[in-house]
Amino acid sequence: MKLVLARVDNRLIHGQVLEAWVPNTHANCIVVANDEIAETTMRRLLMEAAVPKGIQVVVDKVEAVAHLLCSGELGDARVLLLFATVSDALLAFRAGAPITTLNLGNMHAGAGKLKCSCTIALSPEDIDDLRTLDDSGVKIMSQCVPTEREIAWSSMLPRTEG
Amino acid sequence: MKGLVIATHADLGASLLRACELIIGPLPNACAISVQREDDIDTVRQTFATAIAEVGRDGDGVLIMTDMLGGTPANIGGSFVDAERVDLLTGVSLPMVLKFFNSKADLGLSELALILKAYGQQGIQLISELLKR
Repeated sequence: MKLVLARVDNRLIHGQVLEAWVPNTHANCIVVANDEIAETTMRRLLMEAAVPKGIQVVVDKVEAVAHLLCSGELGDARVLLLFATVSDALLAFRAGAPITTLNLGNMHAGAGKLKCSCTIALSPEDIDDLRTLDDSGVKIMSQCVPTEREIAWSSMLPRTEG
Repeated sequence: MKGLVIATHADLGASLLRACELIIGPLPNACAISVQREDDIDTVRQTFATAIAEVGRDGDGVLIMTDMLGGTPANIGGSFVDAERVDLLTGVSLPMVLKFFNSKADLGLSELALILKAYGQQGIQLISELLKR
């Protein structure tokens, strides 16, 4: 198993992932780590139907995904791993998911969030979780699509935060 | 009368409605939802709810058409599917939109959806293949 991309994207599997990141990373397995969708048949079916034939899809709870990634069960798959939130990414990391780089894709605005770019808004909890991951040696970069420049997450924060 | 919501990335849906209007005239009970890169998911979901209520005011059902299976418009639209009341058809094209308005009014929503699915598929042809026949 080679983890070719670990991404936080609140849209999970969508156009940017299927049409930009899959071709860019040559991923042949998309793993969605999300407790809610793992238990919602309709959303799982729609997700599985959307992925082109030849690409494996796994949808499971966050901790189960962390264990799967460590288990060797995925053979020599090139895995694109998706989380809806930073806290899920941290949970998976703590449960042993071999994440060395984390891509921030879409984390949209909401009440009380700090807007860092057109697609990234961070809550105080997101910032704490990202700091924890950063301190643990995970390289965290914001990049919506492969043709955009990567930006280190810390440089997106206002100076008082950074 | 059944309602139509065309939900797409950027302004494709609005353009499809304009193109359709140019061919057959004003389109009742139809609207377009444009999903932009920076849109918050919950806001888009709310836009869907409002649009479905608006075009579905006659109580004859609403068909959502989206550009791409697996895209955000289809992912969100999928959560509104409700047996006889709301259905979702992906891979929208101009022929499908035209046929929606040019179909018999007494067709049920699911009957119409199946016809439009087949009609959209028929609309995709490679001309050199046709010439070889």
